[in-house]
Amino acid sequence: MSGDEKVRVMVVDDHPVWRDGVRADLEASGRVEVVAEAADGGDAIERAREAMPELVLMDLNLPTVPGVEAIRRIVEESPHVKVLVLSASAEEADVLEAVKVGASGYLLKSATAAELVDAVVRVRAGEPTFSPSLAALVLGEFRRMSGTTEPGLTARETEVLRLVAKGYTYKEIADQLFLSTKTVQNHVQNILTKLQLSRRYELMRYAIRRGLDRS
Amino acid sequence: MRKAARGSSEAERGRAVLSLGILAFRWVSLGWMVILALTAGELRRPALAVATIAGLAAWTGWLTVARPRPTWPVLACDLALAVGLNLVAGLVMPAGTVGERPFFAAGYPVAAAVTWGAARGVGGGVAAGLVLGASLVAGQLANGIDLASSEPAVLLDLAGGTLNFVLAGGAVGLVARLLERSAGQLRQATEETIRARERAARLAERESLGRQIHDSVLQALALVHKRGRELAAGGPVPPDQVAGLAEMAAGQERALRSLILRDPADDGTPAGAASLRAALEGLAGAERSLPVTAGATGALWLPARHVEELVAAVRQALDNVVEHAGATRVALFAEEDAGVVVLTVRDDGRGFRYDERQLLAQGKIGLAKSIKGRVEQLGGTMAVTSRPGAGTEVELRVPIREDERDR
Ligand SMILES: Nc1ncnc2c1ncn2[C@@H]1O[C@H](COP(=O)(O)OP(=O)(O)OP(=O)(O)O)[C@@H](O)[C@H]1O
Ligand SMILES: [Mg+2]
Repeated sequence: MSGDEKVRVMVVDDHPVWRDGVRADLEASGRVEVVAEAADGGDAIERAREAMPELVLMDLNLPTVPGVEAIRRIVEESPHVKVLVLSASAEEADVLEAVKVGASGYLLKSATAAELVDAVVRVRAGEPTFSPSLAALVLGEFRRMSGTTEPGLTARETEVLRLVAKGYTYKEIADQLFLSTKTVQNHVQNILTKLQLSRRYELMRYAIRRGLDRS
Repeated sequence: MRKAARGSSEAERGRAVLSLGILAFRWVSLGWMVILALTAGELRRPALAVATIAGLAAWTGWLTVARPRPTWPVLACDLALAVGLNLVAGLVMPAGTVGERPFFAAGYPVAAAVTWGAARGVGGGVAAGLVLGASLVAGQLANGIDLASSEPAVLLDLAGGTLNFVLAGGAVGLVARLLERSAGQLRQATEETIRARERAARLAERESLGRQIHDSVLQALALVHKRGRELAAGGPVPPDQVAGLAEMAAGQERALRSLILRDPADDGTPAGAASLRAALEGLAGAERSLPVTAGATGALWLPARHVEELVAAVRQALDNVVEHAGATRVALFAEEDAGVVVLTVRDDGRGFRYDERQLLAQGKIGLAKSIKGRVEQLGGTMAVTSRPGAGTEVELRVPIREDERDR
């Protein structure tokens, strides 16, 4: 992380009590500044535009605009903004969808304040925080997609992803596979890119199918 | 509900088309009768002929306007009129001419046979046909024909006429039954679709129930859980009291989680399937001495017994981590690959050299019995990968038979 600058964060959740708690946790660390709060998806899109946070910390179960759609819009409007999903349970489909539209990672709400701050700082620094449980979900998703036309994972990428799912750090993976940490990070980044691509293919296939149906 | 009526309305529509056809046939026959009556030259009893045609026209008109349901009185009346018509034909046509010249009754009596067939099936059609055949005989007698001394041709004519009635009635009866049956099949198929859809709706309802719990209770519990833990770590409140609170909240949270993630197909019965991922998440949430993450490639619905045994094995492995590893974190990970569930418990602690025989000799049975034994009972295997200084990975592999899963 560069210098002493605090990470500018926007907190999105429809429960005010929860927002207060998260704000308190983040600000108590001295490394984060909460520059905006939003209570629903539509609000989040708008405030992200005005407050220009570096990172958006959000739940997926939101009124008005659903979380995934809000993430898609926020990332579309300002691609440099990082999104960290803070979800009450690993709702597989939603979390995967969120990552596909551009979220950089997700954390369970039962995470401790220290874990939360750590994740915020790391995501801002550009580290894809592929938590072990997210890695597991992604591995399952690619397995389900295998055989379709989507870009599949290479054997190496699958290996890396499985090790992340087993809780190995990038450093530990690098040591185990005789790679540099940077190479491991690249693998992880490629996996993410392929996952996001798969969504685009999905949309394209859908559009083509619709088009064919029409004609 | 609108859909439920579709099968029967299909039959209704078929029947409506049939009865419209019969009505049209009646009118055409009636018209033909009039033409024949006008062109046939002299009739023996013109008044009776006119009255008969008028009566039939009135009856047909009423059938057309009122469209009555084919009740017994309606059917009986129709048949009686047809029989009467055959008799009248014998009475009004010049004596002895019934067999040779166009029949005064034209095709009209056939409508009665057909109506009976449509309303009462093959049996009804044939019965009406036979009655009409008998009335043909009566008509011949009324026409002054001596059947006993007739030529065989006349008798053959008579038999042919009867056969026509019977065939018409029977055939339409058959068609009506087929129509009914296929409508019945359609209805049955539709009902099945509806049942499937209702089931899907119930599942969706459950899911939304789960989501509601997730939105309210789980959020609150997660908050209490988290705050409680932090307070216990150094708040002014007596720590053990707060810890108890957190424990309780965590327990609630787990219970609700497993409720949400429970197999929708098994409604609360302990037998059946359970989600391995939900179970692992529960375990991870319950561990208080170090951070544990839990992940899986999917919900992993397995026979409940498998999940129970695996959870017990993982608990032992976690105990070992807490007791021996000096780790900073543990990850539980489960995946399913080609019918085998692979579950790993991985810590970043000090590691050790795994030697089963040596451990057993020392009376240490956690790994060898509690973990390996359990997994082997499920037809699986255990592997320990560990080096001093490099953490420990305990891998459990259990085959899952599809027929077991689908119980
Ligand atoms: N995760 C681990 N990290 C480091 N060492 C471990 C780990 N798991 C097991 N061990 C080592 O393996 C030994 C055997 O473990 P095992 O569970 O069989 O017995 P135990 O824990 O010593 O006794 P118990 O029968 O109460 O479980 C432990 O004594 C410990 O030295
Ligand atoms: Mg032990």
